Amino acid sequence: MSAPTAPAAPTTPPAPEAPTTATASAPHLVKWLTRLHRPALTVWTVLVLVLAAALLWLWGPLTEGSARAWEHYATCTADPCHYNQYAILLYKDVYQYTTLAVLVVPFLVAAWAGGSLIGREMESGTARLAWTQGISPTRWLAAKLAVPTVLVTVGTGALVLLHHAMWSAGDGRIDTAKPWYSFETFYAGGTVPVALALAGLAAGALIGLVQGRSLAALGGGLGVTGLLWFGVHMALPHLWPTTTRVTSLQDGVKGSGIGVRTGVLTASGARVGDQGCGRGDSPECRAAFDRVDAVGYYTEYHPRSHFWPLQLMASGLLLVVTALLVLAAFRVLHRRTTASAPARAEAAV
Amino acid sequence: MTETALEATALGKRFGRKGGWALRDCAFRLPAGRVCAVVGPNGAGKSTLLALAAGLLAPTEGTVTVLGTHPGQARPRVGFVAQDKPLYHQLSIAEMLRVGADLNPGRWDAATAERIVAGGDLDPRKRIRALSGGQRTRVALALALGKRPELLLLDEPMADLDPLARHELMGVLMAQTAEYGTTIVMSSHVVAELEDSCDHLLLVGDGRIRLSGELDELLAAHTRVSVPAETDLAPHTVVESRGTGRQVSALIRPAGPLPGDWRTTAPSLEELVLSHLRSPEAPALTPAARTEELPA
Repeated sequence: MSAPTAPAAPTTPPAPEAPTTATASAPHLVKWLTRLHRPALTVWTVLVLVLAAALLWLWGPLTEGSARAWEHYATCTADPCHYNQYAILLYKDVYQYTTLAVLVVPFLVAAWAGGSLIGREMESGTARLAWTQGISPTRWLAAKLAVPTVLVTVGTGALVLLHHAMWSAGDGRIDTAKPWYSFETFYAGGTVPVALALAGLAAGALIGLVQGRSLAALGGGLGVTGLLWFGVHMALPHLWPTTTRVTSLQDGVKGSGIGVRTGVLTASGARVGDQGCGRGDSPECRAAFDRVDAVGYYTEYHPRSHFWPLQLMASGLLLVVTALLVLAAFRVLHRRTTASAPARAEAAV
Repeated sequence: MTETALEATALGKRFGRKGGWALRDCAFRLPAGRVCAVVGPNGAGKSTLLALAAGLLAPTEGTVTVLGTHPGQARPRVGFVAQDKPLYHQLSIAEMLRVGADLNPGRWDAATAERIVAGGDLDPRKRIRALSGGQRTRVALALALGKRPELLLLDEPMADLDPLARHELMGVLMAQTAEYGTTIVMSSHVVAELEDSCDHLLLVGDGRIRLSGELDELLAAHTRVSVPAETDLAPHTVVESRGTGRQVSALIRPAGPLPGDWRTTAPSLEELVLSHLRSPEAPALTPAARTEELPA
């Protein structure tokens, strides 16, 4: 896979202006930003390193230990069977905590972007300080988005890749491992958290600019990120064509993955609802199936091979939203600070 | 050097689509090299005017030209200190000055900035958040002057300073304008604070420019007269008149020679400002079209 390309680094800020003096060389924006946000940079580095270490631990020793314990359990003939239950539980716990931590990353980024990166600067007036220290507002915003975009993409990208590799290592060997389509495993092991983190960054920045208050932007960034995730989760099953599987009435509904729709297939080939029966075979259900002339079940679902297509489509959708948020942020900033008034008359010098 | 430091034409700023006008129909011209006082009551629009000139706010209508160009283009050549003296509180003074160096490559004058900070006996390793209001003002001024601005915009710069620091920093500013020809525009609602150091005046009242021009000329254009109550003051422009029994004391702009029996005195700057602020309906004196070029 490839990490999504960063959308938040604008190649064409919609401002007509640029630093003009020929004598001025480029300002040291990266130096300025890292000096300004050193605590955040430190926290981010530590967070990514600690989480990565936990995922590596899980990937290697813990997966191995848990898999061996399950193997032992499966082939156990003694009664009572002495297998390493501790290894199984440790894997499960650490898996759950690290997965949750990976999923929380986009929210951390959004809260920071709204609260600290932009909101606090607008609230305390230090944004204006920067704008009068030689960098234009659009350049200020571009730098403030571009540097975190790189760091967030690299950090989050590394974490989700590790998570995916870690999950794959235990796949089929650990009986209690989460299936690929479980909510947390699906999201933590794909590109969605990366795109969601970038969307959170853009949302926090936009709200910070518009609101001009740190706390409101922090909350707003969190809220928008949550909403975006919810939206993407709702849209997810429809982002890629589903696979249909037909099974007989005796076999019941089959097909493991992200289910979209199930029902019964009639003799004429029409797909109808399951008549409120699910896979029940009570006399009422059989009567109901007979009434519609049901011959089998159908299931529309996403099998495991749809994992990456779904991930990439969902990430793409989020990146489009991110791009729109970034564009809106630049427009708001430009209109408030540097735009000329309409019907402008050029003053003679 | 540009001849005109700051020029506004029909400049207006409204906050929000339905908000009131913070500034409207402003027209004035400030020649380069002047020290200009922007005076007016709280909420008159002084800060808005300075923010427009600094390129921090986009005008709703009209234009403001800074050093002969768009405020955004002039940014590297303009220094600005906002009223609340925003600084990065998490940094030390030395780091704060390094920010100035990072953001103003090719222009930054570290020696000047450090000298201004050192004048306040400040330890460069001290955090900004640990500084007093006056000390922050000093660091903010150091940042603004460190970029060697051609135009320095200061919003209520002296409000937090003790008399000693005020005197010293005013001296630094005057030296700056004497040495480099820096144009300084500073706002205040305390008129007395500016009288000795400024040679140009912008009086802002209720979002409009009430007076604009060289201080000497503005003072010379006005006369305080004391006449019997029934005297007709026409054709002179009456800025303000106050009756005290049988006598009327008025500040007027003489349209010609005054009758010899009128008792006249020259108004002080404070009188001039207060009279205009007390009489919002008095006509403004803003010789925007005047293209005089007087030595400072």
